[in-house]
Order: sequence, then structure tokens, then C-alpha cells
Amino acid sequence: MSLTNDKFLNISNSIKNSYLDEWKNNKKKVLGYYCTYIPEELFYAAGFLPYRIRATGHELDELADIYMVRFTCGFVRLTLDLALRGGYDFLDGLFITNCCDHARRMYELYDLVVFKRKEIKQKPPQFYVALPHVINEDGFEWYLDEIKLLKEQIEQEYTLKEIDNSQLKEAIKIYNENRSLLREIYNLRTLDNPKLTGSEFLQISMANTSVPKEIANNELRRILEIIKNSKDLSNNRKRIMLVGSVVDNINFTKLVEDSGAIIVSDFLCFGERNILDDVDLNGDLLENIAKRTYYRMSCPRMMDDHKKRYDFLLKEIERAKVDGVILQRINNCDLHGCENMLLEHELKDLGIPSLNIDREAFLTDTTRLQTRIEAFYEMIK
Amino acid sequence: MVNRTELENKVIPYKILLETLQNTYDLVDSILLDNTIPSLKIGLKYLIQNIEANIEKAGDGLPVVGHHFAFQSEYLDCFDVVPICIEGTSYILSALLPDGVEKYYDLMRNWGHPFHTCSSQKGVMGMTLDDLFRFDAIICPTAPCDNTMASYPYFKYQADVPMVLPDMPFIHKEKSFKYYAKQIKKGLEDLGKIIGQKPDWDELKKHLEIDNKSINTQLEIFELKKAIPCPVENFYNAMSAAVTIFMAGKEEKVKYYDEMLESAKNNYRKKKHHGGEEKIRCIFPYMLIFFDLGLCEWLDRELGMSILFDIFNYNFTKPIRTTDSLDTMFYDMARKGMEFPMMKQSTDFYYNFIDDCVNMAKEFKSDCFIFTMHIGCKQFGSVVQVLREALRDETGIPVLMLDLDVGDKRMTSMKVLRDKISLFAQTLL
Repeated sequence: MSLTNDKFLNISNSIKNSYLDEWKNNKKKVLGYYCTYIPEELFYAAGFLPYRIRATGHELDELADIYMVRFTCGFVRLTLDLALRGGYDFLDGLFITNCCDHARRMYELYDLVVFKRKEIKQKPPQFYVALPHVINEDGFEWYLDEIKLLKEQIEQEYTLKEIDNSQLKEAIKIYNENRSLLREIYNLRTLDNPKLTGSEFLQISMANTSVPKEIANNELRRILEIIKNSKDLSNNRKRIMLVGSVVDNINFTKLVEDSGAIIVSDFLCFGERNILDDVDLNGDLLENIAKRTYYRMSCPRMMDDHKKRYDFLLKEIERAKVDGVILQRINNCDLHGCENMLLEHELKDLGIPSLNIDREAFLTDTTRLQTRIEAFYEMIK
Repeated sequence: MVNRTELENKVIPYKILLETLQNTYDLVDSILLDNTIPSLKIGLKYLIQNIEANIEKAGDGLPVVGHHFAFQSEYLDCFDVVPICIEGTSYILSALLPDGVEKYYDLMRNWGHPFHTCSSQKGVMGMTLDDLFRFDAIICPTAPCDNTMASYPYFKYQADVPMVLPDMPFIHKEKSFKYYAKQIKKGLEDLGKIIGQKPDWDELKKHLEIDNKSINTQLEIFELKKAIPCPVENFYNAMSAAVTIFMAGKEEKVKYYDEMLESAKNNYRKKKHHGGEEKIRCIFPYMLIFFDLGLCEWLDRELGMSILFDIFNYNFTKPIRTTDSLDTMFYDMARKGMEFPMMKQSTDFYYNFIDDCVNMAKEFKSDCFIFTMHIGCKQFGSVVQVLREALRDETGIPVLMLDLDVGDKRMTSMKVLRDKISLFAQTLL
């Protein structure tokens, strides 16, 4: 048994999937979101399927070009283009937070352009939560208040009744289990003889954000068994950690791995960063959901948390016996661009090989990247 | 023992700035006839006084505190410090130095700072890397953009500068002002601990009151711009941005606006346009092009195009209440901070920005908009077309978008920019 052509992994290759269709056929609602700073459990408790918007495989941006200048992130640009072509018309709502400048402005663009297209019969509700850019008690107090308001808004817009504790508890259990399963799978990458590639994990993780979590959990259990019973992968490849901007396409990870390495660890939002922390099942459940989302392992949008991220990276480099770190950013991503700048110098000071590269959201310059990546591998002893 | 020169050398770029300001002033004074470009001469005079005073304070050994332009410098008047506006310094030097500050941009780029990340921070980051600035602390609100969030950690983690980060919410609600008010107060208290000074709220009040004095004058000048022809020269906008950033809370700011009001009234009475004849009335809803402020004069004189205002010249807030409680004062400071140019538009949805632009276009009888789409400002990257459609539908006037780096002439040269504007102007005449 192997993961090649596995039906669950294949979900990552397309925007829609059969589970999503079935969910919609049962008159259930799908909520689109961009960034992992979302209280997903709250939406799930309200009966939504939270769906992480991505543009995997989409390579056109002419329509997006009308509304976005050339300095905007290629990932967000592709999603806008796809949205304008009706690619996300299955959404029944949209959640946006001020994660980064590119994605947060999608709130207005969906409102003023995407949801105003003639194909949209009824404009879906939109939700916005203002997330602080620092991590401290004052910030949490603000954020918790935002989450409480969000809950009221969801209740008003959709459920027309209170989302109760039992629903929250059930959602939290499902999500905690989901993260636990993903962590278990993730850990099989970091073994001396890894059981799966970085590209396979990315596919699993992307598919996981596109289907109902109960189904995802069943699939993850099945996949875990397959992986456990599979042969070890070759251990004579360079062990790489991949860090930086969102990666929603295995073309890039395959390029990294096919050049003579295996991605044994990552610090990506479709990767480990999003599965590290769970929600406490004791006490005030809504507050616990807010705590997990706010205090979780951050990304560079949190302005005062670089040290924590750096320390985590070092631990992970040691744990996964990483030979070298690839720091990558999608062009025009200031947050990861500057974070990578700091990391590059910090890793260099410690003698840890690193490569800092920029790329387009979809790969147009594979030869340039391949040359740099191969040269980097040559450099690693 | 530390000598005065060594202390002043913590702010070497300010010494460079002072020299360039003085040279420019001497040149203006000797070449231009009286009142030729009043804003330039008046503004330079007060800027020189301001920068001189700050270098003097650095020499006295006062702490050098860097601040983001969105953390108004008058808020630092509760301390005895040398305030250095990080973005303001990069861009005023890019305007005044013959070769701009490209050398420092390149230093930072070579150090790994992305090419697309804002040059307003990149300049002073490079100067710090080159040991020209030695900050004792930095205070920066967590706004308005990714560049701020991304670039400032450099000062903390690589230049070892203690940093205070008052958190500014990305939504304008009543609770936002209350939250940010607490953040400002706590931020100032934390800064005080770092520099070993206790914030003096009475001193702060005094400077807030001084700043309040110029609000009505600014509004009066703004109103006068409704007149045809516009009685204020284009350069006023550029100098006004510098005055707002470098002289907040200072009597010099009040004097600058008082003198400019007199000049504007005089022109208004005479129906005089700075360039001779006003042919096109234009709004720059965003920034001017800082690396070559000569554009202002060129537009006035060559094209007869008035820049009615840029983003630093159409945002006005109510005066800060200083006589009630401290809470009220900080609440108003928060409101002012969140409604500061660029903060207002960046930390909220852009619906109000679009509405403001449409209303201003009508009220000021603008013929067109020129949107300077700065490479750093990703938060505006999806605004221009929406604005263009709103203006087209509501007023019928066109928008020219210029994509550029407002602080670096190498991305889009002034030649290219002038050509584009000339062609655009031809379609309007």
C-alpha cells in the first residue's frame, strides 16, 4: 500500500471534491477563509464546513489584474482570479481577518466585486475579526471580545439560536483529534528514515482543510495505517526544513525534493505551524477556542513573537535532524520576506546552512529555483 | 568621558539633514524672489530650527527615541528626548540629498531586506546598520501595514534596540479608540521605564494644546482650496507633511500654518494661481513623490495642474480635550492616532476612503485623481480600481495610477512619471 494516487491526497489537487459536494447536497453551509487565524471550531459548532481558500492549479490572473496592482501577493491574486471566474461560488459565507495586507483586503473585494457578480443570487454574509498584532493579555481581552461578537453575528446570520456548549465541545473534540492525527503523521516525516515526503504531507494537510473534519479524521486514521505499514523512504537524501509563505501547490515542494532532498520538517501555515496547539476542553469553551487561536504558534504577522518562532525552529531543526533550511517567500510578501531576512542571519551565526529564495505563487521560474536549490544542496556537507 | 560630538553622532543623519536643509534654505533665499514658493521658505526656516534643537538635545545626552510616523511626535513630549521619525527621516533625506538615500536602501537590500518592502523604513534601517543612528528605544504602533510589522523587528532583534509596540486595532469602532488609548498610555509608561524617565502628563498636555491650535488654521487653508484657482501652491502639501511629522506639538508648526494661511488668503483675494493659470485641478488621494518634490513646481508651472491635496492634507481630527480627565485626553489621542493620514485608511475597511474621495472630488471640483501606488503599500494594492470605478460612476473623472517607489527614483524614474502625467494631462485639456 502506498499514498500514490490516494483519493484523499488527490483532493488537494482540486478546489472542489466529492465530500464538499455531498455536504452542499445535504443543504449544509460552507464558509471560506484565507488564514489559519480563524476560530474554526466555532464555525464547525454552528454547522459550517470551514474551507480554506486556495488556488491550487490555477495559473491565470488576468481578471485579478484588473483589481490588484502588480505588487500584490501572487497567492491572493490567483484566488481573486478564481473567485471572479466563479471558482468559489459554492461558498455560503466568508471569514476574513487582518492576517496580512493582501488577504485582509479580500473582504472588500468579495463584497464589492466577487459577490456582486450576476451569477451570485444571494450575497453571502461576511465576517471580520480584528486580530491584535502583539501577544499579551490586553490583546487577548480584545480578541476574546471580537470572538464573542463573532459568535453573536453567526447566530444572527445563520443559526437563529445560540451555539451551545455541547456543540462547541463536540467541535473542539473533533478538531483536537484532527490535529493530533496530523501531528502523528507529521512525526513520521521527522524519523531518521522518514515514512512520507514533505509533498505528501502538504497534500494531506491541504485536503484536510477542504473536507468535513469527521470525514478527514476517518481518512487520516486510514492514511496513518498506510504510512505506518509502508517502507521507509531512502535516508541518503538531504534533510530539509521548509519555512515561509503559504505553499498551496506541491509543484514547489516536489521541486525541492526532486532536486535531491526530503522535506522532513516545515514551518508553514499548511504545515506544522497550524497543528501544534489544541483547545482545552475544560472551563469556558469559547474562551479556550479564542486562546488557542490567539496564543498559538504565530506567523510573522505577530510583530513581537519572532524570538518564540526562532526558538521553535532551532528545536525543530535538532529534533528532525535537519541538514539545511530553505527560507522561501512568495514575491511581495513583506512579512515572510523580513522574517526570512532575520532567520537567515541568525541561522548563519549558528552555522546552520540556509537558502533564502523568493518565488511566484505558481512556478514560472523552475530552472532558476532548481539551480539555486541544487547549489544549496551541494553546499551542505 | 563622553564628549558632545560623540553624543551628537548618535544622530548623524540628522546632522546631514541639517546641512542639506541649511544649504537648500540659502539657495532658496538667494535665488528666489520673496514669496515665490512661500511654503518652501517658511517650512525650511522652521524645520531647520527643529532639527537644530534636536541635535542640540542629542549633544546634551538625552535619549534618542525612534518613532513610527503614526506615533505622533508630540506624544513623546511627555519626555525629554530626541524624537526621530523613522519614515520621515528616510523620505526627507531622499527628497533633499542629491543622490537620495539609495546607498542605505542598498545596504539593507544586500542585508536581505526584500526589494518590495517599504523604503520609508529601509532608509533608516540602512543608516542604523551603518551605525549612523544609535537609538536608545523605539516606539511603533502596530499599524498601518505589513511593512511596519515586518521591518521593525529588525531594530529589536538585530540592532538590539528596546522596542515598545502599542497595539492599534484594525477596525474603527468605539471600543477601538478605548483600547488604543490604553495602549498609548501603557506604551509611554513602558518607554519611560526603558529610558529612565517618568512621563510628564502636564508637559504632554501643553504640547497637545499647542498642536490643537493649528487644526483650525489647517482647515481654513483646506477650505480656501475650494476656490478656483487654488490659492495654495503645490509645494505646500509636501512641506505640510514634513511639518506634521517633524513639528507636531511645536509652536513652529502653528507659525507655519499661520503664515501659510496669510499667503493663501492673499492669493485668494487676488485670484492668483501659483503657476500663472490653473488648467487642471487634481487630487492626490495618496502620497506625493518624495524622491523628487520638484514635481510639485513642475505641475504648477508647466502643466497648470494644482494638487489640491495629498493624503497628509485632507485628514483632520477634532482638537484633543486636555482639560477633562486623563482618560479623555488619551481617548482623543487614540482617535487622532487612528485617524492620522494613512492610519485612517489602512486600519479600517476602505469604504470610507472611497466615499471621502468621491465627496472631495465633487466639493473641490477636481478634474482628476493621480494615485501614487507605492510598492510598499500592499494595503492599497486593491483599492485603485475600486476607486476608479466609483469616481467614474459618481463624478465622471479619471484616475491615473502611477506604480512606483515614492522614495527611490530607480524603480520608476521621474522622466517616466512626468511623461505619464503629461500624456494624462493632455487627455484632460
